[in-house]
Amino acid sequence: MRLGFIGLGAMGQPMARQLLSAGHQLALWARRPDSLRPLLDQGARAYPSPSELARNAEVVFTMVTASDDVAALALGPDGLIHGAAPGSIHVDMSTIAPQVARRIAGRLAEKDIAMLDAPVSGGVAAAEKATLAIMVGGAAATLERVRPLLETLGKTIVHVGGHGAGQVAKACNQMVMVAAIEACAEAMRLAAASGVDPERVRTAMLGGAAGSVVLEVFGGRMAARDFQAGVEARLHHKDFAIMMQEAYRLGCPLPVAGQVWQQLNALMGHGWGGQDSVSLLKVLEVANG
Amino acid sequence: MKIGFIGLGLMGRPMALNLARAGHELHLWARRPASLEPFAEVHAHAHISAAEVARHARIVFTMVADAPDVAQVTLGEGGIAEGAGQGTIIVDMSTIAPAAARDISLRLLARGIEFLDAPVSGGEVGAINAALTIMVGGKASVFEEIRPLFEKLGKSATLIGDSGAGQVAKACNQILTGVGVAAVAEAFTFARKSGVDPAKVREALLGGFAYSKILENHGQRMLDRNFKPGFKSWMHQKDLRIVMEEAHGLGLMLPSAAATAQMLNAMAGSGLGEEDSIAMLKLLERMSGQE
Repeated sequence: MRLGFIGLGAMGQPMARQLLSAGHQLALWARRPDSLRPLLDQGARAYPSPSELARNAEVVFTMVTASDDVAALALGPDGLIHGAAPGSIHVDMSTIAPQVARRIAGRLAEKDIAMLDAPVSGGVAAAEKATLAIMVGGAAATLERVRPLLETLGKTIVHVGGHGAGQVAKACNQMVMVAAIEACAEAMRLAAASGVDPERVRTAMLGGAAGSVVLEVFGGRMAARDFQAGVEARLHHKDFAIMMQEAYRLGCPLPVAGQVWQQLNALMGHGWGGQDSVSLLKVLEVANG
Repeated sequence: MKIGFIGLGLMGRPMALNLARAGHELHLWARRPASLEPFAEVHAHAHISAAEVARHARIVFTMVADAPDVAQVTLGEGGIAEGAGQGTIIVDMSTIAPAAARDISLRLLARGIEFLDAPVSGGEVGAINAALTIMVGGKASVFEEIRPLFEKLGKSATLIGDSGAGQVAKACNQILTGVGVAAVAEAFTFARKSGVDPAKVREALLGGFAYSKILENHGQRMLDRNFKPGFKSWMHQKDLRIVMEEAHGLGLMLPSAAATAQMLNAMAGSGLGEEDSIAMLKLLERMSGQE
């Protein structure tokens, strides 16, 4: 199949590679051409603009940072909308605001271009092992057309609902995960402040009702004091701005998320945005450590 | 003096009337013609656009809801900038994000138009009684030129700093009033559930270190269960959204403001948005099943 891929960062790079390895033709475009090199060597082709790329692809994937980036790629002067054929599909796997996803889908639909919002969870490790969890918003029929492609990227693919629903699921995912990281950090701090070995506390908890992937993975990094980024904290910080803006718009109180957001603000204020979110532990240590 | 005024809502209307009563000639534009009715008795001219207002008045006040409204009325199609001459001064008294105020100011300055951000505190009562507190950001020389007009609107006008500084001060004001209202509402709910009369508690506390205008005025209205706005809670919700977005950008932890912002979200989501922010008392009662 003729596919396009834009956004060859830490996540996008391995995802594009999976698609290429599965035997598809891959059209690429990147702001920084050096990010193309590894994939060009494996047979992908580069195009001078997103619209040119779209002319040469039946399905275009995007994996970029922010709402504005996706809107510009899809609808901007050189955007996908100007090259994509009627009946083609744009699958955006970035994490962006549900409202923006809905708006882009509406504009693309005017040109008979289908869109899916399909954000992912699992981080770089899952992208490399093709075990991402993919949360999809959009028409079920569109999803069925690209399901085999998504299956080369992830192991759990859930159709959550209409346009934007994938992004709502991702916002919920981020809220639960980062709140759990914060809870984990607070537990580690309480243990240390009590003179008890946090690692033993963690091991004990893993066997009980408080056991979780976050306690295992992020708690493990906290115990090892490994603050190197899996996912950079600044990205979680960005996700919280999206979620809290939605909460505002909907009049939906999120008291715990509101506090976790503040802890992330503090982390950013310390200049730790390039580290992993396990640095939330260090924020607590500033006040008691 | 010929003065333009755009934004004749709950706050803007009495403010414009105060300028008219001080002997100034008003030039007005409003989206809804009904907003102009109260000005039939004073010296005021209605125009077909904000641009047209700016063609008749060198100084134009704006008092609208949010940053996109200010941008539209100043820089948008038919906006003030279209009709403004060299030396036009726009005084924006709306509450918007400091970053938005700085941005609008720069874009106007590029067209030779001066801009002050001059948000107010004091509510509708303060506007009617010309007793507002005015917090100003912008050039000192422009501030001095406008100061006599500020004196017709409020009891104090303070130049806080450069462009955007007035909005920063207003954001600080909204943190204090938002968290303050929440604190009084929590104290009263706590007293009542403990079987103690909140009115007695208020009376005792007014003599001590916990005294505040919020405890005195807002507290009394809570006891009277008078939730008429005043200051609508959805507007306070908007103002704290501005605060929290700034905190996000600054990498600043504001836990109390964040908690209050979530309570204001809950008010908006449960039908209390049109009531005064002191209806936070009702929200707290509901959430603990104390109604």
